[in-house]
Amino acid sequence: MHIEAQERDDVLLRRSARGDEEAFTELYRRHQAPLYRFALRMSGNVWAAEEIVQEVFMTLIREPKKFDPERGALRSFLYGITRNRVMKHLERKPRESLHEAIDEDGIGQRGIASDSPTPAEWADVRERRDQVRAAVLKLPVEFREAVVLCGLEELSYEEAARLLDCPVGTIRSRLHRGRALLLAKLEMLRDTPKRAGGSR
Amino acid sequence: MTCEEFELAGLDLETIQADDAVHSAAREHLRSCPRCAALHENWQTLRADLHAVGAETQEAEAPARVEMRLRQEYRTRHKTVKARRAAVYAGWTLAAAAVVVAAVSWVNWRHGNGQGSTASAVNSAQNLNITKTTPAGPELGETIVASNDAGEFTLLPGSLPGMLGDATVVRVQMQRGALGALGLTVNEERAADLIQVDLLVGDDGQPQALRLAETTD
Repeated sequence: MHIEAQERDDVLLRRSARGDEEAFTELYRRHQAPLYRFALRMSGNVWAAEEIVQEVFMTLIREPKKFDPERGALRSFLYGITRNRVMKHLERKPRESLHEAIDEDGIGQRGIASDSPTPAEWADVRERRDQVRAAVLKLPVEFREAVVLCGLEELSYEEAARLLDCPVGTIRSRLHRGRALLLAKLEMLRDTPKRAGGSR
Repeated sequence: MTCEEFELAGLDLETIQADDAVHSAAREHLRSCPRCAALHENWQTLRADLHAVGAETQEAEAPARVEMRLRQEYRTRHKTVKARRAAVYAGWTLAAAAVVVAAVSWVNWRHGNGQGSTASAVNSAQNLNITKTTPAGPELGETIVASNDAGEFTLLPGSLPGMLGDATVVRVQMQRGALGALGLTVNEERAADLIQVDLLVGDDGQPQALRLAETTD
């Protein structure tokens, strides 16, 4: 099934390179959402995510031959370009608040409103999630990638390793350290006892 | 299991299914270590928070304007390429058509040139429209009068129709009286009139027939 999907991507990309606009549109619609979410969660900014996705597919329009099907799936290739663009964005621009950016697009309201019946609870939940989002955005990039893919996108370690083109062990390790850092950043919010005597 | 080992494996306690030994050891450590139990609880909360944060943007996708911009770029790019290709094809087609037209024209010209002399001979013979009233020429003593009807040649005495194949028409102006030298009867009263005569001159340079093209009176 996966191979078929990959072959279909190849076929679509070949058709797209020959001038078939429908093929290009199909490729875009198939891959844009996860790439956009990844860029959004990594950058914390809807405008940046939009620009990054646009640049990724511009690359596909201008240089379709850059993709080599023998080296992996098109999705991994696109994730690779997206990662590079995200890195450039993070180097170029100061970090911006995710919740502000999300509110611009109205995305932030939907999930919260559904599970917070009272304004007080709504405010608590919102504050809590803002803190979590901010903590994720403060993680070093390599840990943030692992947390975004496995924690937010809920991909398996294998899938994340494939997309980031690294061993599964690396993902596991980065995720572990990312979680530890997240817990450390959010520790003041909880009453976690300090480790008493190291290992037991 | 130590706390470090638990942190490595135990945080994924719910997702560990394959390795039962690790799972049970982590469970055991969780029961005996309040710190790791608290850590695990915190992690479960954080995990739920991450899930909730993820769910907020789970349906997020690039705005429609991105697709529009990309499709516009795609069209522009491929239209330019197509237009360039079309221009090249059109150029080559025009060049090929020009070559074909030139070749056909040349062949026709060559063909027409080869037949030209024959055709002109035939035409001249046809256009001559010689009056064959006396195929063997006028009999001796017979009176021959130059015809005033333009387009009809009158054979001169002693000329044969078969000799006119390659004859040439020469227009000359002369006095009517000069026709007498060609064996024609001339009205003496108007002998001094200037007339235009088309002479059919044979291969030997001698006039074989004539017609009155135009009279001055």
